[in-house]
Amino acid sequence: MTKLCGKRLNNHEELELVREDLLKHRNSGTKSVCVCVGPGCAAKGANRLYELFCEAVRQSDSKVKVEAKSVGCHGLCECGPIILIQPGDIFYQRVEEPDVAEIFRETVLSDRIVERLLHEDPSTGEKARSPDEIPFYKAQNRIALAYNGLIDPANIEDYIAAGGYTALPKALTTMTSEEIIAEVELAGLRGRGGGGFPTARKWRSCRESDGSPKYVICNGDEGDPGAFMDRAIMEGNPHSVIEGMVIGAYAIGSSQGYIYVRNEYPLSVERLKEAIEQARQWGFLGEDILGSSFSFNIRINRGGGAFVCGESTALMASLEGRTGEPRAKYVHTVESGFRGKPTNLNNVETWTNIPPIINRGGEWFAGIGTEKSKGTKVFSLVGNVVNTGLVEVPMGITLRRIIDEIGGGVRDGKRFKAVQTGGPSGGCIPSEHLDARVDFDELTKLGSMMGSGGMIVMDEGTCMVRVARYFTEFLQKESCGKCTPCREGLAQMLHILNRITRGEGDVGDIEELGVLAELLEGTALCALGKTAANPVLSTIRYFRDEYDAHILDRHCPAKECRGLFRYEIDAEACKACGICLKNCPEDAITGEKEVPHVINQEKCTLCGICWEKCPFTAVLKV
Amino acid sequence: MPTVTIDGCKVRVKKNATVLDAAKKAGIWIPTLCYHPAVSCDASCRICMVELERGDWRQLVTACNYPVREDIVVYVSSERAQQARRGVMELLLARAPESEELKALAERMGVKETHYPKVTESQRNCILCGLCVRVCEEIIGQSAIGFAGRGVDRTVAAPFRQPSDDCIGCGACAVVCPVGTIKLRIHKDQQEVEISPFKSRAKLLLCRQCGAPVVSVQVSEQVMGKVGLDCEEFRERVRLCPKCRKLQSAAQLASAPIRKKQ
Repeated sequence: MTKLCGKRLNNHEELELVREDLLKHRNSGTKSVCVCVGPGCAAKGANRLYELFCEAVRQSDSKVKVEAKSVGCHGLCECGPIILIQPGDIFYQRVEEPDVAEIFRETVLSDRIVERLLHEDPSTGEKARSPDEIPFYKAQNRIALAYNGLIDPANIEDYIAAGGYTALPKALTTMTSEEIIAEVELAGLRGRGGGGFPTARKWRSCRESDGSPKYVICNGDEGDPGAFMDRAIMEGNPHSVIEGMVIGAYAIGSSQGYIYVRNEYPLSVERLKEAIEQARQWGFLGEDILGSSFSFNIRINRGGGAFVCGESTALMASLEGRTGEPRAKYVHTVESGFRGKPTNLNNVETWTNIPPIINRGGEWFAGIGTEKSKGTKVFSLVGNVVNTGLVEVPMGITLRRIIDEIGGGVRDGKRFKAVQTGGPSGGCIPSEHLDARVDFDELTKLGSMMGSGGMIVMDEGTCMVRVARYFTEFLQKESCGKCTPCREGLAQMLHILNRITRGEGDVGDIEELGVLAELLEGTALCALGKTAANPVLSTIRYFRDEYDAHILDRHCPAKECRGLFRYEIDAEACKACGICLKNCPEDAITGEKEVPHVINQEKCTLCGICWEKCPFTAVLKV
Repeated sequence: MPTVTIDGCKVRVKKNATVLDAAKKAGIWIPTLCYHPAVSCDASCRICMVELERGDWRQLVTACNYPVREDIVVYVSSERAQQARRGVMELLLARAPESEELKALAERMGVKETHYPKVTESQRNCILCGLCVRVCEEIIGQSAIGFAGRGVDRTVAAPFRQPSDDCIGCGACAVVCPVGTIKLRIHKDQQEVEISPFKSRAKLLLCRQCGAPVVSVQVSEQVMGKVGLDCEEFRERVRLCPKCRKLQSAAQLASAPIRKKQ
């Protein structure tokens, strides 16, 4: 290894020397076992697997050089823990502790495949050796997640060897600020945090704003239920965020940056801290970056767990040490933001997209996607879908392809009902719009939004009124309470939705919800309040019949709202085993041996125990 | 100086003046609750919504803090603006149904009653406009009260909901409160003033002459410090109630020798 490795690099040439060395060293026949320790795999015990592989490497006396490394999220969380073996891209899924020895012996040392751990296509039964052969990955286009699952996030050398920190020297030595902004503009990159504001325009406004110093902020306060896109990037490839921020800061003319991460992401904080420390050591951060005379520093701030702090002005207030509450944005943050100075805030995913744009050009990026939404978008695909996980798709892909091709369709053979995009303030899109293209404007037209990338698939058993109620409750709890419409209006909406789901709805409730929704949209202070009615509005728009059934017939068509459906025993399916009878706390079930049991509807309190306990699914919801 | 056209009436205002400033100049009334000229703008009550013309579409903005930077056209009495203000008022009435002050403002706005039920708890009809918090922090410099809780649990309170040592009993919060939530209570026997509902108490300075309460001891001390006029006569005058101070002045004037024209 060159002497330069790990030392502060003074120029572009030194960096290239180090990179060459790292590559030479890596290509000398070392095998690596990449253990995914992303949130999904870690929850299934991947950290222990990593330890076992490390132990195996230590104890191995084979001549084969092996390294075990823990890597960020692969995306296919459903099939975790995931292990990737390089070279060869061998992809093992659902790996458990006893498999470690076998994988090490067979695949790592003897180049043999362990067939049973390969991914199997549920429809064709075909086994896939590498990720490229798995349908889940085929339709994806990974730019922001390109190195996720391949590099060790705690090791800057991995990032450099994979081609990281090539955009930074290019920007610093060969491009002017205006050229960088023009490149981002050409790329057509729009904010990935939800708003979809053109990134280049924001940068330019901030650059041209009077006032000094200028600040750049990375918003890592990911708070949408079920979303973990930014987390995966921060934990899987933190250097890409840092590289993007340094380039942005150089273009804007800022010397101080902040990364605001929610405190519930302790690993993200740790990874970013390590990465910042390493970047500083190597000369990618701090004074005189790569000898360019440009200086930039990054600090990490942890958020206290308020959803509203993901809103830019609330985030800045929190960063200043004040209560995290939004303020009116009539004067934009690029003019007067953090500490009253020009501030440019972008989301984690937006920053991550910067290095590839600089490396490969805005034109290349703009070649992906639709007319007004360029590039790719990371979604966390969750809910009643076969393959839950993290997916990165080109803009313009249809919802159907995401759900059916990548997601493998709806779980348990049930029918698809709706997909919710855009986080709690997003909307539910029904099956008739599944061929809609995923793009900022298209989703808004459908009454939903892009948001930061949550995508929840719901099957036929989901009651849409309850879904609306759930998100309204979430937003009501997370409302900061500063402005009247959000604080009082959401409480009123929730009150109405509670009544409807309890079977106490009145004629006119739907219209009342509409009035409140309009009031919120027009008068609330920040985006949280302005968009808070989306779940209600979109469910009314597409599933009005369900609302009507709740209000007029006192019936829940999806049979989720307790009290709005009955339990009955199917006489043909009933084997008269007596389990329901024994378990009924109200003695509402009668029956004898070999005589189908019957529920006395007057006594029944709808607790659902019989439905849970019946081994023959003879208890039905009607 | 940009020109603002409000409901057809043209006024010129200084750059960065607010729409509310312009409306005042034009003599057009816009209801406000969380606005007070003495303190910073929060735009939290949303009662001052007006409509702003933006080319081919219109946007609702709050008049109290929307800065005028160029010539703009604003509608205060358009259907949409009125509906927005009335909607917000109805929500506030549902929260604070007993406030006479709020009811009076509602009536002036043409809102007879609210059709919403009461779903959020308010501390004695508090509408959380935050004027008391801002006046205590920005004008008095004490920050004895602040917001506690979040969302529907938000309230104005002193730390830990205990009587605050930082409260000097000045009563500025009670003066700015637009809905009558904050009241001053004089406890004559203990010679104390209580800021209700915060339970903070302060010793009262009694008038040397008539024994009527003047201000709290801490307020008089702060006034002395702020004025920086350390003469015996001033100190004596501060210890009198306004009525006795007037009488004393009159007496002094009456007993003063008449100066003849030279």
